[in-house]
Amino acid sequence: MRAWRTFLTVAILSVALTACGAEDTPTSSASAAPAGPWSFTDGSGKEVKADQTPTRIIAHAGEAAALISFGIKPVGIYSDEPVKTDPNLKNLDLTGIEILGEEWGKIDVEKAASLRPDLIVADWWPAEKANSGLEEGVDEKSKKIAELAPIVGISQGKSIVELAEGYEALAKSLGAKVDDPAIAANKKRFEESVAKFKAAVAAKPNLTALAMSPSDDKVYVANPEYAPELLDFQKFGLQVINPDTPDPGFPYWENLSWENADKYQPDLILWDSRNYTDKANAEWGAKQPTWFKIKAAQAGATVSWPAFWMHTYGDFATELDKLTTAVTAANENIGS
Amino acid sequence: MSTTDTLRATRRRRGLRSVTVTTALAAVAAGLFVFTMMAGSMRLTATEVVMSVLHLRTDPSVDFVVLGLRLPTALTGLTVGLALGASGTIFQQLLRNPLASPDFVGITSGAGLAAITGIVLLHLGGLWISGLALAGALVAATIMYLLAWRDGVSGYRFILIGIGVAVFLDGLIGYMLTRAQLFEARQAMHWLTGSVGQADTHELQLLSYALLVLLPLAVLLQRQLRALELGDDTARALGTRTEASRAALLAVAVILVALAVAVAGPIVFVALIAGPVANRLLGPAAGGIAAAALTGAALLLTADLVAVHLMPTPLPTGVVTGAVGAPYLLWLLATTNRRGAGG
Amino acid sequence: MTRRTLGLALLGGVLAVVAFLSITLGSRDIGLSEVLRALGGTGDTGSTNSTVTLELRVPRTLLGILVGAALGVAGAVLQGVTRNPLADAGIMGINSGAAVFVVFAVTVLGVRGAGVYVWFAFAGAIGALVLVYAVASLGREGATPIKLALAGAAVTAGLGSLTTGIVMTNVDALNELRFWQVGSLAGRYYPVLTGVAPFLILGLIASLGLGRVLNGLALGEDVARGLGQRVGLTRAAAFAVVAVLAGAATAACGPIVFVGLVVPHVARFLCGPDYRWILPYSMLLAPIALLLADVLGRILVAPDELQVGVVLGVIGAPVFVGIVRYGRMAEA
Repeated sequence: MRAWRTFLTVAILSVALTACGAEDTPTSSASAAPAGPWSFTDGSGKEVKADQTPTRIIAHAGEAAALISFGIKPVGIYSDEPVKTDPNLKNLDLTGIEILGEEWGKIDVEKAASLRPDLIVADWWPAEKANSGLEEGVDEKSKKIAELAPIVGISQGKSIVELAEGYEALAKSLGAKVDDPAIAANKKRFEESVAKFKAAVAAKPNLTALAMSPSDDKVYVANPEYAPELLDFQKFGLQVINPDTPDPGFPYWENLSWENADKYQPDLILWDSRNYTDKANAEWGAKQPTWFKIKAAQAGATVSWPAFWMHTYGDFATELDKLTTAVTAANENIGS
Repeated sequence: MSTTDTLRATRRRRGLRSVTVTTALAAVAAGLFVFTMMAGSMRLTATEVVMSVLHLRTDPSVDFVVLGLRLPTALTGLTVGLALGASGTIFQQLLRNPLASPDFVGITSGAGLAAITGIVLLHLGGLWISGLALAGALVAATIMYLLAWRDGVSGYRFILIGIGVAVFLDGLIGYMLTRAQLFEARQAMHWLTGSVGQADTHELQLLSYALLVLLPLAVLLQRQLRALELGDDTARALGTRTEASRAALLAVAVILVALAVAVAGPIVFVALIAGPVANRLLGPAAGGIAAAALTGAALLLTADLVAVHLMPTPLPTGVVTGAVGAPYLLWLLATTNRRGAGG
Repeated sequence: MTRRTLGLALLGGVLAVVAFLSITLGSRDIGLSEVLRALGGTGDTGSTNSTVTLELRVPRTLLGILVGAALGVAGAVLQGVTRNPLADAGIMGINSGAAVFVVFAVTVLGVRGAGVYVWFAFAGAIGALVLVYAVASLGREGATPIKLALAGAAVTAGLGSLTTGIVMTNVDALNELRFWQVGSLAGRYYPVLTGVAPFLILGLIASLGLGRVLNGLALGEDVARGLGQRVGLTRAAAFAVVAVLAGAATAACGPIVFVGLVVPHVARFLCGPDYRWILPYSMLLAPIALLLADVLGRILVAPDELQVGVVLGVIGAPVFVGIVRYGRMAEA
């Protein structure tokens, strides 16, 4: 099987090289893409130009999900964890897309080269000044993917809405029909979800929420300043508590020892989705004597917080609806 | 037939064997070096690879894969292997003990600890890491010297203390990792697993130039080393300044292993195995540094081929060398013991 | 009362004081009177302060005492039986064995949480020690110190590769391992304590019987044999004790080094080379060191905490260098 695949990629590559890519069968559904020239200004502020509108795109996991939601199918994807568990990818049909890496720092650039990409899409991280998958510490080899094609990425870290809008703009520039009812349905659903969420929050003016992640040794409290979706929630009116002394070395979190688990008393706990299950609250209550000293935990007022992964209107809408339900069910005075 | 004639004949035979084996090993290492650049998602022929490396033919897609992607990895495997092999055999000969390789007496751990500290606490990268690794190795070597040298290094005592120092330093590395923030922790974990795929161009250049200078130097020092092997008293009688050449050789070995660790992280067991394997091949001409270095290169290139292409998912090189090396060390233990050298 | 008995009593007193500190001081600010009321059973039973005192700090302190004593004694026995001044359970491959089993439990069996994989860590630690001992025993003269150390190093390296191989392909395992690899007393309560306590107490009692034979071994194997000792049997018994003590301690708290390495030297410095005294001295000194480090870690960065392993790493290094510098290490 492996040998065949290798043989095929080599064969395709040599055919393509002689044919100069002129009679490509476009793999993306954006076949009606304008011929170009094309340009796009991305999150790092740089303007990327091309004579022709890119059609053969390699994208990082969540960015790929965003493009797919606008009808643009990348030719290759690399992710930081297996695509079966990546929250962005696990429910998508990836047939026909080459998987170039399922571990942080490792991209099969040879395979990527054989796909002859003309654009690479990966989030831009302002703090690290790097695109996803090209940060400090990855394999030197992986960084070479940047030599295959220009990279664009929307700026990460401040807002999921901006991220989704950014990829909408990128998709549009690449020829996606973002106003097509089938595609725009996600955005419409998202706008409705936001409206419902705002209404639910407005009905509980005293409700406070805290984003938490319990672990065996300590409890971590998320700092909204560094969590784009929490900033969005705050913009929508939800009072997500900002911890007063985040870890100076790693300000994403404030670390609390289990003795101090009850330092904050929110009315609703936003629970890190990476270790949230329906039974998690009961389990941690049984395991940690002080977990139920948080009154909201004792009352079972917990909901999954989609931590650090969302890229699309659709995913955001689905997650917002869960939150709306939790906000509606919550008692706004339990923590006080 | 006088005794001098017999001696001369023996020496000639030894020289011949040494040259033959070293040449053969060089051929094997070169073959593996080229083969490393042939295998992968895109399969290439040896001719294509050689043409591309020597810039004899220009083919953008082949050049990208060979020069851009595979040559750095292959070069890392080759140079790190050479450095580890040479360093290991120098340690083993100087300490007159097949178990005294730098990765067991704390030198590698010292380099690793310093490099991790640089990544985690000082947020450094690139050449700074090489420099720190070198400093760490030197400090570890000095500690070893102070702790164990005074009653000679030939005894097992040196290794006992060395293992203790190594475990102590490994413990510190573990704590350093827990102090790491998520972002550096990923980088540090990658670094610690030891892999030839992660080398930075500058570090690689540094190691290559160091090898060009230090390998010939080590081979030149071979004479003194041979003299040393006869024992200190004899060596002194021959007029060799024992301590000076010991220090010089050891310095060469420490620098080589430090730079190798800086480039590829702590890859275990290559330094331990290369010398003994080369000696087995060399037979009566045992002890050649060049042969041991080439054996190291061949071993490391093979291990990387196995790690990257034969495993269900590509693994760091150090995983393969560790999995193969541990049983070897246990076997060595059993046989050393049978010869009555244990304890 | 001899000087050494007096010293022992004094250390017992110090341990009691440190244990009291460990219950009254922590990352949460609780008044002394409230702690005393909670301990006396007259406090407000539902209050967080009372829960923290009774359900967090008391089991943590008890665990610290037992684990500390176990590590100190295990280190002293190992240094005696291998005649290696730098012997430590870590050198015998115990941490790597436990790590492999933890990773195996997470990846293959889907086990989560410190309370559950205690037993896997225990099995792994003992498995590694048995393997090291078995390999070192091959051959005529049996498990000599050098062969033990080398077999330990080989097993550590081999198992380390295995662990890395698994962890590199499994993010969950990497996360669990990162947590487990920090030696810590936090987050472990009565289930863990009651689980390992029987092993630790039995091991500690058994170890007190080893003083005389360790003294014999310290004179060299031939002398020991001349004194009528059965060297092989002694070694096996000593190793069994170390396996139980260090295995259970590592299983409960993760790898904690330095205590096992350094404490026996301090004990030797205080009471001389007689193992009948070194063992009980280590048994009291080690928990004092462990609890003090833990209390420091709790109050230094409140409301956060430093793991005890980290604190020991920072203060243990200069102590280690100091011991080496003043030469006690060499004569052991």
